Amino acid sequence: MEVKPMVIKAMSRLLNYLGLATAYIRLNWHAHLEYRGAFLSQLIAMLLNNLMWVAFWVLFFTRFPVLRGWTVQDVVTLWAIAAAGFGLAHAIYGNALQLATLITQGQLDVWMLYPRVLLPHLLLGRMNATSWGDLLFGYGVYLGFVHPDLVHFVWFVGLTTAIAALFVGFSVLTGSLSFYLGNASALSEQWRFAMLSFSTYPGTLFEGGIKLLLYTLIPAGFVAYLPIEALRSLSWIHAVWTIVGSIAVLGVGIGVFYHGLRRYESGNLMEMRG
Amino acid sequence: MSLLHKYGLHKYGWIAWTSARSHVAYLGEVIARTLFLIVILYIFLQLWRVTYSETQAQQLGGFTLAQMLWYLCITESMAISAPRVAQEVDQDVRTGALAVQLIRPMSYPLYRLWSSLGERCVRFSLNFAVSAVLAFLFVGAIPISLTGLFLFLIVLPIAFILDFLMMFLIGLGAFWLEDTTGLVLIYSRLLWLLGGLLIPLELFPESWQPILRNLPFATIIYAPARLFVHPTWNDAIAILLRQGVTLLILAIGVQWVYRIAVQRIHANGG
Repeated sequence: MEVKPMVIKAMSRLLNYLGLATAYIRLNWHAHLEYRGAFLSQLIAMLLNNLMWVAFWVLFFTRFPVLRGWTVQDVVTLWAIAAAGFGLAHAIYGNALQLATLITQGQLDVWMLYPRVLLPHLLLGRMNATSWGDLLFGYGVYLGFVHPDLVHFVWFVGLTTAIAALFVGFSVLTGSLSFYLGNASALSEQWRFAMLSFSTYPGTLFEGGIKLLLYTLIPAGFVAYLPIEALRSLSWIHAVWTIVGSIAVLGVGIGVFYHGLRRYESGNLMEMRG
Repeated sequence: MSLLHKYGLHKYGWIAWTSARSHVAYLGEVIARTLFLIVILYIFLQLWRVTYSETQAQQLGGFTLAQMLWYLCITESMAISAPRVAQEVDQDVRTGALAVQLIRPMSYPLYRLWSSLGERCVRFSLNFAVSAVLAFLFVGAIPISLTGLFLFLIVLPIAFILDFLMMFLIGLGAFWLEDTTGLVLIYSRLLWLLGGLLIPLELFPESWQPILRNLPFATIIYAPARLFVHPTWNDAIAILLRQGVTLLILAIGVQWVYRIAVQRIHANGG
């Protein structure tokens, strides 16, 4: 009897948040379109950057057709899934990439004044322009290069959503270091760089202690190995582990953020938001 | 020395020296890049270790595994030591700072060239020191002769100058274009892919190789790295010839575009 109202309340909260997220996405999108030229050039630049990497892998696999059981199609799928996941995460939650700076400069104050849950609201505050390039690239290259059937495409959509959650969690985790270390922007960037680098090379290349690292400190194994194996053979077990990994990283990120928030000191910063 | 003074060249030496000294001050930035180098060289090591093992080859494209990693250690050090020349020239054009530079008793392109060379020498040396230690730890040393080192040190600064000229040309694009960021990105990615940053030219399809060797990208990245691991006089002469021709063409191109660009400057105020 008591469960039903709780479910209704949770659903109502979720719908309310989705409404807020839609409004922010629309607002951020229009803000970027005010500088249409710059937005498009950033978007195209990211597309070109990613295409360059695909060209590298095509060249590589022309010379060496199989790498520990992986073909060029698997590596292109890896790039598609990593780019689409990262793009989806930061096209919507762009502030996740700015978190270290926001904390260091005391800019959380303004977000704390809203009658909203802090983290999910704060993350919506900015849209990362180049992430749209990643997102477009990911889906474009998967559809255009891999030619999936409907079932594979549905799995791809599900897995990119899980990876987007992982990237949001990881960005929040690395950004939250600033609560503990002061200005951790450089460290946060380096950690994120390591994650992205390992996420864009075949997971089968790594073994031993590094493999352990890739499922803990730098959770790239959940991007560069498990989802690709899941898609290759429509393996539920790999898909479930991808989702478990994403939820774990997101959970750790949220936990570290709120733990660190207790140490946060106001910057007494005057700020206006238009 | 007197000849340098006669033609006013000593001041450019001072510009390079000042730029180098100011970048030595930013050692923290170099340390921050160490993680980048560790990660990227480790990934490359694994990629090529697996490739060599799967193909059961001792050499690929004439490179052993150790030579491949040392090759990549040079190319990565070169790539991440590149100064932001195009962005700085772009800023000078947009902010009007170029007009101020023009009244100084020196050539603006030469000022930018020597300043970038000073910065690049420091950054390359530090990055190379770090990546050489890593390569040594990962795969051990490779035989390096004094002649090889000498040839590398001749070709390397010319490669830096060629890269500067390409970036300077792109920066001058700010006179005509709304935004040169896209051009910088396209150039850097072409340099990475066609210049042999990630994979030596010997591993490209054979029909591509003669074309790629004659493009400016290869003379900037591939040529010095290749000479470092495989130094021969014949290769060095061929590379110097290609670099010389590219240098001539780019220098004429820069002078021509710069002359046209400067005519578009309109200075107002006092």
